[in-house]
Amino acid sequence: MNGRLVTRRDFLKHAGATAALLGLSESFIPQLARALQELASGKPPVIWIQGQCCSGCSVSLLNSNYPMVAELVLDKLSIRFHPTIMAAAGDKAISAIEETARDLKGKYVLVVEGPVPEAEGGEYCTFGIEKTTKDLLGKSVPKDKPMTLWMEELVPKAAAVIAVGNCASFGGIPKANAEVTGTKPISEVVKKIDANKPVINVGGCPPHPDWVVGTVLEGLTWLSGGKKPDLDEHLRSKTFFGKLIHENCERRAAFDAGLFLEDWNDQNPDMKLCLFKMGCKGPVTYADCPIRRWNSGVNWCVGANAPCHGCAEPAFYKDLSPLYEPLPNVNFAGLTTSTDVLGWVAAGATAAGVGVHYLLKQLGKKPEEKSEGGE
Amino acid sequence: MGRMVSIDPVTRIEGHLRIDIEIEGDKVKDAWSSGTMFRGLEMLLKGKHPWDAQQVTERICGVCPLVHGTAASYCLDDALGVELPDNARLIRNLCLGANFIQSHILHFYHLAALDYVDVTAVAKYTGTNRALQILRDKIVGLVKANDVYPFLPRYESNDYVSDPELATVLVGHYVEALEMRKKAQEMLSIFYGRMPSFVGTVPGGVTTPPTISNIAAFRSRLTELRKWIDNVYLADILLLAEVEAYKPFHTAGDSGGNYLAYGGFDEDSQGTKKFLPRGVIFNNDIFNVEGPDKFGEFQITESVKHSWYTDECEWLNPKNGKTEPDIHKEGAYSFLKAPRYKGKPMEVGPLSRMLVKKPDLLVNLAKELGLLDNKPIKIGLLPRHAARAIECKILAEEMDKWLDQLKPGDKIWDKKDIPSESYGRGLVEGPRGALGHWIHIKGKKIDNYQAIVPTTWNASPRDKNGERGPIETALIGLPVPDPENPINVVRCVRSFDPCLACAIHVIHPSHNGVKVFQVI
Repeated sequence: MNGRLVTRRDFLKHAGATAALLGLSESFIPQLARALQELASGKPPVIWIQGQCCSGCSVSLLNSNYPMVAELVLDKLSIRFHPTIMAAAGDKAISAIEETARDLKGKYVLVVEGPVPEAEGGEYCTFGIEKTTKDLLGKSVPKDKPMTLWMEELVPKAAAVIAVGNCASFGGIPKANAEVTGTKPISEVVKKIDANKPVINVGGCPPHPDWVVGTVLEGLTWLSGGKKPDLDEHLRSKTFFGKLIHENCERRAAFDAGLFLEDWNDQNPDMKLCLFKMGCKGPVTYADCPIRRWNSGVNWCVGANAPCHGCAEPAFYKDLSPLYEPLPNVNFAGLTTSTDVLGWVAAGATAAGVGVHYLLKQLGKKPEEKSEGGE
Repeated sequence: MGRMVSIDPVTRIEGHLRIDIEIEGDKVKDAWSSGTMFRGLEMLLKGKHPWDAQQVTERICGVCPLVHGTAASYCLDDALGVELPDNARLIRNLCLGANFIQSHILHFYHLAALDYVDVTAVAKYTGTNRALQILRDKIVGLVKANDVYPFLPRYESNDYVSDPELATVLVGHYVEALEMRKKAQEMLSIFYGRMPSFVGTVPGGVTTPPTISNIAAFRSRLTELRKWIDNVYLADILLLAEVEAYKPFHTAGDSGGNYLAYGGFDEDSQGTKKFLPRGVIFNNDIFNVEGPDKFGEFQITESVKHSWYTDECEWLNPKNGKTEPDIHKEGAYSFLKAPRYKGKPMEVGPLSRMLVKKPDLLVNLAKELGLLDNKPIKIGLLPRHAARAIECKILAEEMDKWLDQLKPGDKIWDKKDIPSESYGRGLVEGPRGALGHWIHIKGKKIDNYQAIVPTTWNASPRDKNGERGPIETALIGLPVPDPENPINVVRCVRSFDPCLACAIHVIHPSHNGVKVFQVI
């Protein structure tokens, strides 16, 4: 390997800009710089593999702005393997994984998009050829290599594992078919292979590009002896998943005033109407969408006059369905509310010091660790 | 038997694809295409509220969520008896169009271009363009640090575009294209909230009303993209077509000559008039198109002779199709089924649509390249890229007109209750080709949901007659001078823009409702 190309000062500058843009605390920056400058190109190696995914998380990452994708690929990360963007295919692509795992043992970050199906020896998801397989006569035969085997090989040698997106983090959509495919979230798979391996989840179907980049940076900082990211009970970084959508929603005033959208042709000129009655899951969803917004800040779901579907929550999709029906009626101290009076109740309850906190409790969630300092 | 080569994973596509080829005398003698991942989504929808279909089916694929969401919306509109307001129809067209633009740009530059351009040649750039010099310096730095991932390793070949000036301009466009496709996603976000996984269509219409300001925000991005498509994307395609080493690809990579387009982008509320028309072509007889009047869904059957599904699923119309996995099945090699129209494998996608529509630009280009002089006509892998770029251009032009037709203040939603029992169908075109969604509502819930996606057509395995799928056929005869570096094989596969997540989303064992559809 050649000499260092990026000075510590360059690093601090880069890392500082990135961290600040993503809303990370400045205390991360020195550790981040330390983590990155150990490598010749100054770029931390990443192996990004795909399980039962739809590539939506990768496509979302391509919408990254600060850093821009080109910057991410050319300046920030050494992406050793990523099926959707890498030049190589077949054996050449596989060799990039194998070399990284061999030469940079303990130094690469393993990013997994999509969960792992464990049924039938892992046959429901394979990539690459397993050359060592022998047939009954002991002759070597090419066989598809299951995702399960890749995990067994790559997890022990990884510095940490980042599960990107709701499917990898919680099983998501493919888990609904778990009785056939034996689909498991990444954290469960990793735990069986190496119980001490750090795992961080990035929720979202798909995740916001900032959530992915930011979580990777927080993870790298942690790995270099820096601060451990503040994770919630679902192993998501509180930097991005620390606040309820409902708490920061631009239409919260309409909710409090009891002004609800019931017909998409009804465009109230005075105030954008609350989407609670159209099924908004903002009151039970932890994500910073209202502040961060999507696609270069152009819009977000509620901004498009549509309800939040709660896609960053472990409960998505199955346990949040029906998506376009209001959240179930909630008991407020013996008073069963309907959506007609919910705005009024919420307003009153907030004033009384309960509000969302109480609402969540009634929905069977555990708000204690999450909405502290909120209401 | 010739030498066998397996390419797994085929990268720079969506999903998990394996290609096996048999090489004899430096050429592909035979080919097998295998989808190697299985999820199962339709089962999840059974018993659910019909409105959920759009949000769930979007998650079939992260590359084209918009197409699935749109197909699901039309499918639900059909089942609910919606009269779609003009504003809603236009906004759906505009957003689908924006998705075509982002998808086609992404495909050509980020998925396909690295098969043609030598990224390392950028290090030798001696030109004076400041932005390209910065790019060069970055690449030089990475080469020095021995860290040119993810651009190296790659299949080595002596026919990459390696002229430093040209290669640097193309790599510069690769970088620009990242920003351009992002702008196309911003266009979607204006009406649909965010991308991927958008929220702006619902059964009955759309959620964001057109306003002077969101029309302007959409148009300013569209105008910028149109300029870029005309001056950069189309120009780059023509440049590749002119490269001497690539001239064989004008005709090599022919999929067998059968093309199918459902048609899309409704121009009236009934959907009878479409900007991209419906049609079928057989045996490269491109001036003889079977039009919409002759189209019949009942002509579609799926073979599982070589797919990991039980024999119970063999040769059924997809509407009463079955999907029972059997991963130990003898002779099977893919999770993809093999759909056939009138018993024939069909290519779907931009090439099919453009051959059915025949815009002047396409016909003139084909004449100029001498493609129409060959008897029989062969259409290779480069015309597939050209058709994509031409489609991108004519669609973007049309979108500007659709923006003019939006009427702020008019209806955007036709509210309809869910019937206790009903059937619905949504046939649309996605960037990768013909897409169909079918729903059966019973007791106000989803009883059965089926989707047939473009890549199942293109990447399908052999059928019960032993006839190969379009990609398999296209590979045969391609030159493979170095079996360690089968670059032409991946060039050809990628020209189809395969999307495997779409293709293998199916499930389910037991509940396959039998349905009858009106043939149109």
